[in-house]
Amino acid sequence: MLQLVVIIPLLAGITVFFLPVNRGRTVLVATALAHAALTALEWFQIIGPLHNRYFSATPEGLLVLAILSFLFLWICLYSVFYMQETEMSKEPVFNACMLLFLAAMSMVTIADHIIMLWVAVEATTLMSAPLIFVHHSKEALEATWKYVLICSVGIALALLGCFFIIFSMTMGQVEAPITFSALHDVAARLNPAWLKAGFIFILIGYGTKMGLAPMHTWLPDAHSEAPGPASALLSGALLNCAFLGVYRCHQLMYAAGLGPFSSNVLIAFGLASMLVAAVFILNQSDYKRMLAYSSIENMGIIAFGTGIGGIAVFGAMLHMIHHSLIKSSLFLTAGNIFLGYGTKIINKTGAMMRLFPKTAATFVAGFAGISGFPPFGLFISELLIIFGAVKAGRYVVVAIFIFCLILVFAGASRLVIQMVFGTRESDEILVPEQWKRALPPLVLLLTSMALVIWMPESITQTIIRAIATIGGTIHG
Amino acid sequence: MNHISTILLALILLSVLLSLRTNRLMALVKLMAFQGVMVSTVPLFSGSEHGITFGLFLFFFLMVLVKGVCIPALMMIAVKRVVASREIEPIIGYHASLFAGLIMIVFSMYLINHLQLHLLPPGHKLLLVTAVTTMGAGLILLMARRKAITQVIGYLMMENGIYLIGTALAGKVHNQYLVEFAVLLDLLVAVLVMGIVLNDIHHTFDDVDTGLLGRLKD
Repeated sequence: MLQLVVIIPLLAGITVFFLPVNRGRTVLVATALAHAALTALEWFQIIGPLHNRYFSATPEGLLVLAILSFLFLWICLYSVFYMQETEMSKEPVFNACMLLFLAAMSMVTIADHIIMLWVAVEATTLMSAPLIFVHHSKEALEATWKYVLICSVGIALALLGCFFIIFSMTMGQVEAPITFSALHDVAARLNPAWLKAGFIFILIGYGTKMGLAPMHTWLPDAHSEAPGPASALLSGALLNCAFLGVYRCHQLMYAAGLGPFSSNVLIAFGLASMLVAAVFILNQSDYKRMLAYSSIENMGIIAFGTGIGGIAVFGAMLHMIHHSLIKSSLFLTAGNIFLGYGTKIINKTGAMMRLFPKTAATFVAGFAGISGFPPFGLFISELLIIFGAVKAGRYVVVAIFIFCLILVFAGASRLVIQMVFGTRESDEILVPEQWKRALPPLVLLLTSMALVIWMPESITQTIIRAIATIGGTIHG
Repeated sequence: MNHISTILLALILLSVLLSLRTNRLMALVKLMAFQGVMVSTVPLFSGSEHGITFGLFLFFFLMVLVKGVCIPALMMIAVKRVVASREIEPIIGYHASLFAGLIMIVFSMYLINHLQLHLLPPGHKLLLVTAVTTMGAGLILLMARRKAITQVIGYLMMENGIYLIGTALAGKVHNQYLVEFAVLLDLLVAVLVMGIVLNDIHHTFDDVDTGLLGRLKD
């Protein structure tokens, strides 16, 4: 039964609130394992959705769910070791919110009713807010306040967009359930003007959550102030869920024959995000903010690829998978760096190669991955997106796209080299590095590499089914 | 559409204008409670095809409980904890905000008249005007005030406006109580989370002035 991926973490989360810390950690890991097992059962279609008006299993939803489940397992293993090093007074709250957050995100991936999807996306905001301000510093409070307020207001606009889509049914005199799957069949009869208005509002709403410029302002703050495991989850899993909301609406637009309109809007927002990220990464002084801006850039790439269509959509989906793996790995490594140096300022770090060789290795490898070097997956996905754009004859936008990639690489590489190979006056470190904390980021990186060498056929087939609805294909 | 709903809408508009004008946080919370009850009542009178069903009535009761009692109670606790009871030095002054609110009414009137809404029941135009104004005024409050509490109230007002738009445009959602209930639950939890963060801001900064939140910059 499909809904178990929501119900189990929800119940576990509520339980963890009242358990002592050590048992809470056990429940956290056990739930992550159970969630992964359930996702696997669903992936191989051993269990299907319980007949329901509100939920269904779609290929794109399954894809996001699979990424989420895999990441969560490794992040929560890391989180247990991370928590042992930090004295956190409210650890049960943190663990409980991790699980509730997992429940909310799983709900996004299986929601089919338009407003249920909205409810789930809003729930992800609310459940993740406590994760950001566990440290109770002034900066963390500010980040949380901005996060909750900006995202809530943004998502409220998405609700308006949902109402517009429902109204486009009334205007087109369509009688159907208000679900994406049902609307897909009658899309051609929906009123196009209201559908467009709905798409714009939904894109603004979920785009805020996804970190598309110019609605991205909360993202660098929240991702940099949250503790390592929470940032990894925000960046690797939450952004995909928000993208899923946009993608579902884009599918609806495509089915209604308004594909060119929504594609162009997606391309514009994607390029804007990439430009903003490129500009702000250049003079960054905080390594977690640097990673956060890189997330904005990558979400821009995914939106861009989806907008271009054809083989670029395949690239965008690959990009989503590999970005999640690599960026989560980088944020977990950033957590290790923070434990070691006790600061997020790049100038106060340095000599990582000598002081933290394992962390330095995962950091440099992760950086190579996120910049699109082979053998990591972003190389292929970015190449496919560029091929797709050139094939579609969009030379101007692809030029801007490549320019942004170069700019981000130039800005970030300077900072990374300074951190890893630069000098540092004192050799004083807070917490020495450990294999158990270096392993989860390494596993995530190796997974990205493994998926490049051998992509299981079922993943390829799922992506092909997911992108077929917006005219994406694997054959050029 | 009948006289009762016209009166309700007029009262909502009045509460919107008053909340733009007032600088007392307590009065603002009371206005929100009043507005919450009025907004919950509108669907009962907005000419549903099925008349007033049991489900509709039950949901009305839940809405009043959440929007008229729970949320204002939470906000009141927040206001009482925060010693300063007035908004000081708003970013946009009270007269200017009030004027912006009036312009909002004119603008939404213009907007609604120029949309192709011939399929709507006739009285729904007034409902839409009220809804758009409420939403816009909520946004004004969000942007024009410094106190975190006022910003939460702005968010609530915006949500009220969106709910009214939903009532006018997407009446068929009102028959799906699970969905409506989930939206309402989200709103309640949102206010709860905001309240907790607000409380922490007050503890840490000794004030709830969002002007103090300016440490994170690029």
